Amino acid sequence: MDRPGLVWARTDWGLVIAALGLSLIGAVLVWSATRHQLGSALAVRHLINTAIGVVLAAAVTRLDFRGLRAWAPWVYLASLLGLGLVLSPVGSTINGSRSWIELPGGFSVQPSELAKVALCIGLAMILAEGRDRDRPPSHRDVALAWLVAGIPIGLVMLQPDLGSALVLGALALGVIAVSGAPRRWVLGAVGLVAVGITVALTTPLLSAYQRDRLVAFAHPEADPSGIGYQTRQVRIAIGSGGWGGKGLFQGRQTQGGFIPFQQTDFVFSVAGEELGFLGAAGLLLVLGFVVVRALVIAVRTEDAFSRLVAVGVACWLIFQVFENVGMNLGLMPVTGLPLPFVSYGGSSMFACWLAVGLLNNAHLASLRRG
Amino acid sequence: MLLAVLIVFSLFAAQLLRLQAIDAKTMAEAALGQRLQKESIPALRGDITDADGVVLASSEERRDITADPTAVAQYTKVVDGTRTEVGISGAAKDLAPLLHKSARNIAIRLRANPGTRFTYLVKNVSPLTWHKVAALGIPGILSERTTQRDYPTNDVAASLVGWVGNDGKAGGGVEQMLDKKLTGTPGEMTYERSGDGSVIATGEHTDVPAVPGQNVRLTINSDLQFMAQNTLAQEVIKSRSESGTVVVSNPKGDLLAVASYPSFDPNHIGQAQGFLGNRAFSEVFEPGSTAKVMTAAAAIEEGVATPRTHVTVPSVLQRADREFRDAEKHGRLHLTFAGVLAHSSNMGAILVGEKLSKQTMYDYLRKFGIGSHTGVGFPGESRGLLARPQDWDDAQRFTILYGQGMSVNAIQDAGVFQTIANGGVRVPPRLIAGTESNGQFNQNPRAKGTRVVSEATAQQVTHMLEGVVGKHGTAPAAEVKGYRVAGKTGTASRYDAATGGYNGYTASFIGFAPADNPQLIVSVTLQNPKSSIYGGVVAAPVFSKVMTYALQAYKIPPTGTNPSHIPLTFKTPAEQARAKGKNE
Repeated sequence: MDRPGLVWARTDWGLVIAALGLSLIGAVLVWSATRHQLGSALAVRHLINTAIGVVLAAAVTRLDFRGLRAWAPWVYLASLLGLGLVLSPVGSTINGSRSWIELPGGFSVQPSELAKVALCIGLAMILAEGRDRDRPPSHRDVALAWLVAGIPIGLVMLQPDLGSALVLGALALGVIAVSGAPRRWVLGAVGLVAVGITVALTTPLLSAYQRDRLVAFAHPEADPSGIGYQTRQVRIAIGSGGWGGKGLFQGRQTQGGFIPFQQTDFVFSVAGEELGFLGAAGLLLVLGFVVVRALVIAVRTEDAFSRLVAVGVACWLIFQVFENVGMNLGLMPVTGLPLPFVSYGGSSMFACWLAVGLLNNAHLASLRRG
Repeated sequence: MLLAVLIVFSLFAAQLLRLQAIDAKTMAEAALGQRLQKESIPALRGDITDADGVVLASSEERRDITADPTAVAQYTKVVDGTRTEVGISGAAKDLAPLLHKSARNIAIRLRANPGTRFTYLVKNVSPLTWHKVAALGIPGILSERTTQRDYPTNDVAASLVGWVGNDGKAGGGVEQMLDKKLTGTPGEMTYERSGDGSVIATGEHTDVPAVPGQNVRLTINSDLQFMAQNTLAQEVIKSRSESGTVVVSNPKGDLLAVASYPSFDPNHIGQAQGFLGNRAFSEVFEPGSTAKVMTAAAAIEEGVATPRTHVTVPSVLQRADREFRDAEKHGRLHLTFAGVLAHSSNMGAILVGEKLSKQTMYDYLRKFGIGSHTGVGFPGESRGLLARPQDWDDAQRFTILYGQGMSVNAIQDAGVFQTIANGGVRVPPRLIAGTESNGQFNQNPRAKGTRVVSEATAQQVTHMLEGVVGKHGTAPAAEVKGYRVAGKTGTASRYDAATGGYNGYTASFIGFAPADNPQLIVSVTLQNPKSSIYGGVVAAPVFSKVMTYALQAYKIPPTGTNPSHIPLTFKTPAEQARAKGKNE
């Protein structure tokens, strides 16, 4: 371990401050969306989650990347255990998905969030093990990597949680592509996704709930009081924000509680309505900064393992921001995914800050090497 | 990769720009449109009261409680210190004691149609109950404002006051007659509504208050109405009549009680059966002998007779190829004109009345109000039938003189006696004393009276009518102890529309008191009584009871004078000679 002073001095503070900013904006937006029903309770929890997340990130940052690699199999197995538990009678169903484990004291854990972290380091371990960055992984390694990614993706699909499965898939695809794996593995995977989507839309593989969401995306006016309701209300909320927004706590759609799950999946619409175009675009800018920062770290990192970890985190964050903002803007179908740092949710918040820790760790790894 | 990210984020920014800058106005309007809720505030209907302000009909504010079951399912509350979702079962449990229903029933109702977003939980609760329900803070539980009409006197004045149906429409009586005045103008509340239906406090909010309807004050005395209704009901049941009416008025034409039996309970109009109108206005019948008062008044006014005019009544009278008889068989009678009335002799009425031309008699009948609407404008009122004299058949010219061959309603029938009691001036009846709005009372002026006969004639007829109640008259049972009473029985053949001919009788008694200073007129009419057909037997006792009560209620003292005694019979010269011989 290096001297602690050096670690702090060389931390990517831009990333940390941006993530902290997103978390604080998130607290305000969550407060606005829930204050009529629950007062400041959720906003306070959001802040507590942020604080825990920051501590987790600091801990991960301080870990030597070799230590991290040693932990990787255990973290991965723990996440598989979590995903397995969710499907057992221990898990609880919320909004049609069996995604949560209730803990005593009113807390609950969403293992699919932590699976994202596990997959980042798990894949990196397999594809970077014992190699320097110029030698591509073998076919066997790639096949193993797909297996390692496939198990949690499959378990998440069983919940069913299409959004998280897509994030995990995007994450795996990105890591494998960057690892230098033979191109046909990557093209084959893309082809598989295309086939998968076709099958999902044309056969009863998707649950009725997921199919409804896709239909609602294509035709929001089909059932304005049912599944299309959410899409329409979100669009109305964002649209009525205008340039400058209605003002904090003044958005009628938000304050009136017209949008279900607004503090989680649709927190972006609070910004849209109450902070207007300037606020929402600003939020988008900060999200973009975090994502770009993740990419830059991935590109700059020399160490093969750290590099793949950073790539994994970057793909994850990019895809999740893309899907969440996309569905808020009506550009993507609705799948339940939180907006990183901003949405309310403990597991998601911890996972995101762990991701910041991983990025910082990778950032420091390149410095440690050099 | 970086490029792709930048492109995607630019795309998002562009979409944001489109939604918020370009489509913003239509979006904002759509948003306001879905949140703006207009709710009608029903106007309270005006009260209907009696002359002293006793409420006969009033409206109160009520609420219908509605539910959006999808919102109720998200009901959360603090249980043992933690906020938990208790949903429909929890809501039902909390609502049950307030709505006086079992939690199970409420839950069944909320779960009856899965996916529905509107259902009535319970209708017609008090505003207080609604406030207690609203205080629970259950999402999706809302209310609609309504009003409920209440009739505290139940069936007593039902047919007179009328009723308001469940659809809020007036159905008969004063309710229908003055519907426009009683109905207020509904107000409107415009507010912004949140997703679970509650009002957004900071949203737009405008109120147009409802304007309540005007209060209507009747000329009726509710105590007297109550007494008249009950006395009538007893007699209808006792005499096994089909129906009956009692009308009480004063000489100025104010209706003080208009009872009609059988009646109904306007509070439960859905279960009401039979005729729901007021028979005193809508049921017409041939008046029979009470109409002899008009014949007498006309004859005296026209100078063809006086109360003492001698009328020799045969046992049978041949007129228009028909044999006319009196109700009771008798030999040749030597009656004065007053005696004709006291004994209610049809032949006597013909013998005097035929001295008047058909047209003259017709004109008098019209002036007494026969064949015209009363002017009250009561819903379902019938004006009866009086053919023009040129259309009278040969017999009708004679039957009309004793009240057959024409028809009247009970109000018209009572109006004849009001005219006599009022010194010969007929005043159309008045039911509405006035209306009140914003605390200001607008009197409904009395109609202008028209003179039918001279005061002297009216007085002479009154004296003749006193004989009817005397011990030799047809209605000693109409006597009111201590008071001078003038009145006339009626026992008329009753036209039955069902059989198209005469079937049964109409028994009546109409009179006023005190005879020498008339203050009150009471008319009693019973349709198709079975215990006795005679007005003097079945109707006169009702008259006596109602009149006794009314005189006391209005604190009208006896005049203390002696009843007039016009001889009812006369002696022929031969009889006089014989009597003289006896005495000497």
